[in-house]
Amino acid sequence: MSSATIILWCITAVLLLFSWKAGPETVNRGFHLAWATTKQNTLLIFLAFLIVGFVNILSPQELVKSWIGPASGWQGIILAEFLGMLLPGGPYVVFPLIAILFQAGAGLAPIITLITSWSTQSLLTIGFELPFMGWRFTLIRWGMGLLIPLAAGFTAVILWG
Amino acid sequence: MTINIKKYRIHFVLLIVIIFLGIMAFTQGGWDQVLAGIKDGLSILLQELPLLAAAFLTAGFLQALVKKEFITRWLGREAGLKGILLACLGGGLIPGGPYAYYPIAGALLKSGAGLGVLIAFVTAKNLWSVSRIPLEFAILGTTITIRRYLITFLIPPLLGLLAEWFLGGSITKIEENAQQ
Repeated sequence: MSSATIILWCITAVLLLFSWKAGPETVNRGFHLAWATTKQNTLLIFLAFLIVGFVNILSPQELVKSWIGPASGWQGIILAEFLGMLLPGGPYVVFPLIAILFQAGAGLAPIITLITSWSTQSLLTIGFELPFMGWRFTLIRWGMGLLIPLAAGFTAVILWG
Repeated sequence: MTINIKKYRIHFVLLIVIIFLGIMAFTQGGWDQVLAGIKDGLSILLQELPLLAAAFLTAGFLQALVKKEFITRWLGREAGLKGILLACLGGGLIPGGPYAYYPIAGALLKSGAGLGVLIAFVTAKNLWSVSRIPLEFAILGTTITIRRYLITFLIPPLLGLLAEWFLGGSITKIEENAQQ
């Protein structure tokens, strides 16, 4: 079991304790709301994980590796923003790949853009965002976020060349 | 009938993506590859079930516990910078992938949190993520990690403020949209 799971279960336990102190009605309401959210999203979560599975076996990592290698400067930064969106998986998958790219000669600025874009613009996480937040929120957050990885990359160029 | 279509709009979007990816997998390696993709997705889902259960319970109890007045005062539109900073802190500290933090963000949205607060929460989760720091240092090294954190440190509160400032009024529409 991952540390994230353990920490989140601890948070759940604390919330449960508070609900228990607040009375049985709050506990019931908590379970009821949790169940309602689960029922409403089971199919969507299932579909989102199917997308994760397909993306995993299509391994866009290879694509990212072959593209970002030689590119540098502002072209590298723009490319890194797009590639960051395509990078699937958690930090355990993505950081080793980024480390390889850095060792292969990718500049600091594209690398920072790549990490930032993977963090905020990842297309794969949208599958989990849409069910809970709706398309309107997703559009606003993702749309506003588009400039962030670029800004981070260009700031890196200004500060550290 | 139109209500039904609206209700399943997101299902359709995800399904279209799945079909598209399925075709790509098929052209790459036939049915074996398609089956491998399905298997891979299901095994990750199974592996993440304990985390999903904790996330849904947290979302449920948050909604049950937190009084509307508390959300309005600390995380609602009137909370201003205070609410946005609080959301950044929460986002930075919460562990787990998108299937863990989006149910919680959804619970906050339903309970009356403002747009700036929600944007700050999600962005801080993505950029500050405390649980990711040790791994980032270990794999990417000190230089990249420190510089990356320095450059993106102000973005979560800044983006939250900007969102609240320009689009904060649309939160009711966003909430209705998420309920569908």
